[in-house]
Amino acid sequence: MRERPAGKIEQSWRRSPSRRAALGSLAGFLLGSPDLFAQQDPFRDHSRVPGLDELLTAFDFEEVAYAKLPRAAYNYTAHGGAGEFTVRRNREAFQWAAIRPKSSAKAAVVDASTEVLGTKMQFPIMAAPSAAHVALHPSKELGSYSGCTAAAGTPMIVSYATSTPFEEIAAAGGGPLWYQLYPREKLEDNRPRLERAQAAGCKAVVVTIDQQAAYYDRSAHDRNLSSRRRRPSVRPGVKPQNPYRFTSTRLWYEWKLFDGLRPMVRTPLLAKGILTPEDALLCIEHGLDGIVVSNHGGRGLDYSPSSLEVLPEIVDAVGGRIPVLIDSGFRRGGDVLKALALGAKAVCLGRVPRWGLASFGAAGVQRALEIVQAELVLAMKQAGCPTLAAADRSLVRLDLP
Amino acid sequence: MNGGALTRREAVARFAALPAFSSLLRAQRAPQLRGEPPGRIAPLDELVNTHEFEPSARRKLASAVYETVAETARDGFDRITFRPRMMVNTLALDLTTELFGRSMFAPILVGPIARQKQFHADGEAAMAAGAAGAKAVMALADRSDVPVERIAERAAAGFWGQVYMSGDGAAALARVRRMTAAGCSAVVVTVNPGPGTGRRLNWGFFKRVRDAVSAPLILKGVMDAELAHAAVERGADGIVVSNHGGRSGAAAAQPIGVLPAIAGALAGRAPILIDGGFRRGGDVLKALALGASAVLVCRPAVWGLAAYGAAGARTAIELMQTELARDMAMCGAVNIAAIRPEHVRIHRRAPGE
Repeated sequence: MRERPAGKIEQSWRRSPSRRAALGSLAGFLLGSPDLFAQQDPFRDHSRVPGLDELLTAFDFEEVAYAKLPRAAYNYTAHGGAGEFTVRRNREAFQWAAIRPKSSAKAAVVDASTEVLGTKMQFPIMAAPSAAHVALHPSKELGSYSGCTAAAGTPMIVSYATSTPFEEIAAAGGGPLWYQLYPREKLEDNRPRLERAQAAGCKAVVVTIDQQAAYYDRSAHDRNLSSRRRRPSVRPGVKPQNPYRFTSTRLWYEWKLFDGLRPMVRTPLLAKGILTPEDALLCIEHGLDGIVVSNHGGRGLDYSPSSLEVLPEIVDAVGGRIPVLIDSGFRRGGDVLKALALGAKAVCLGRVPRWGLASFGAAGVQRALEIVQAELVLAMKQAGCPTLAAADRSLVRLDLP
Repeated sequence: MNGGALTRREAVARFAALPAFSSLLRAQRAPQLRGEPPGRIAPLDELVNTHEFEPSARRKLASAVYETVAETARDGFDRITFRPRMMVNTLALDLTTELFGRSMFAPILVGPIARQKQFHADGEAAMAAGAAGAKAVMALADRSDVPVERIAERAAAGFWGQVYMSGDGAAALARVRRMTAAGCSAVVVTVNPGPGTGRRLNWGFFKRVRDAVSAPLILKGVMDAELAHAAVERGADGIVVSNHGGRSGAAAAQPIGVLPAIAGALAGRAPILIDGGFRRGGDVLKALALGASAVLVCRPAVWGLAAYGAAGARTAIELMQTELARDMAMCGAVNIAAIRPEHVRIHRRAPGE
């Protein structure tokens, strides 16, 4: 064995710290690097997707959904109408409502159970109807349903645009199911869908009445990140219906629709998309059993008000005659408590279970809902509300703009 | 040490190479580009709203020119939300607007913009073609780079003529006569808004124009009820609520903010037009709900003209028409007359305030 002559590096090592010390310094240098610290934050680097038990709020699920979904599927869930003013306002509105804890001591035990139109629920929280879960997770609506069921039997409103037939979802068994209808212009065309949903055991029917001519720009905002898309008005092969270069199948909507639908529906019948007291009164006039105050999660008419800011005036107009539900922008248990205090009977969550499903399938839906439920319980305890009946208007100080 | 084994030098070199291929270092590379690449003029049919025209215009224009048409403050629109009414049949959606005895395709006009050859080689001629393509009336600025007679040939949906008051008014009056001779269907007398505009106004000139033309006479630059009153009393057929695109400095108020007070004061005695910050069909719908009869659109048309010529100006106006139609359908207003003050709510604060 021949000793090789020492090179310059080796010679320098003889003069300087030992190899062990040098490597130690290098290792220390790397450990001190901000890059390594960055990797410890699950949301800094999308090459590492955090695990289910690392997610602490409903918002966290959006980050994971963003990392896991194809961009177009993520965008579809994220988008809002036009410039998304209403999407932003839906969140900002919760800053205008402050919870004033009751002077009494904190509630030790909380019961958040309620009953809406015959549907009993452990928490006043439902899964809002949302389209095409196939884009989010291979388990599709079945995953959403089993997640909802596992989360204290959260009732799920199945979308008109479901990727799984209502019967198939119902056959899987679980918590209560409601059915959402986008009405068809010919009254009789609505009957087969309503019959199928009722035969399969839906507990209520929710008719969505907004979205006559919605449009959104998100594909343009993200032009460089997804496939390029032309304006709908110049899409080839689509013949506009009017001189204003757009097409809609919903311009025929009229209140008399409900007079025709009412005999087809044996369950409670609700209308979703109410933003004014005038329309709430028309719902009562046309025999509806409940309403959902909603701006469609900001996905319809931009510059619609947040649903929370119009809730009190609508609740006042309805005067307890029919239950008022609400959606659009709810992410936290505290958000839910504010709406309940302002008179809502229950809150529907749209994006939260979608993010849950996209993140971790049924387990994600369950956890996302459970987080909001647990936050609601905590908020009720801190506010001194042992039951939902104690959550009245005195619980919230409103400062609407 | 085994002769086949690595030397320390080689081992150190490989160890050094390891971090070079590390994902940590690659993560430090420049982030992926988002939005429009620098310098790209997006193809016209990719643009989906008028806001998107501005970056393309900015890339085409010299910065000094661009500064004159850069986006202005428009938070006044953020203080207004809609009160959309559901279940209103809008199959017969109709934006037709009656103004000064004439029928317009939609309540959106191209506002008077001076010296348009600084934006595009064909200047007002291209703008007139664009406006005509969108079936919109074009208001021709007093300081135009193209003779009014050439505009008259191209403005298929009609045109209005703008005139500034200056000096004794003889020259201005001559320009008014030339515009009316060329066929302009309304004359827009423009004043620079600001405090005490009504007192500073040369009402003598206004009267001479009034006496000289039979076409409708409109006073532009009104920012308070007092001046609106005075204009109508002195024979104006209409007014334009305007702060001159936010350029007059003195007027911090935005036209959409003062519109309700002016509409209340005039109480329907004369049609009210408005300009200033209108970018979306929804902005137009708010003005109509608050008492305006029509809206003048300036910057979006200029951005379209600068980046794409006549086709760009046309598309910008058409996009706003389409948005207005869609928003009317979603608010439950089947035509212009059905748009009511109850369709909007004015808030004390804009978001974030």
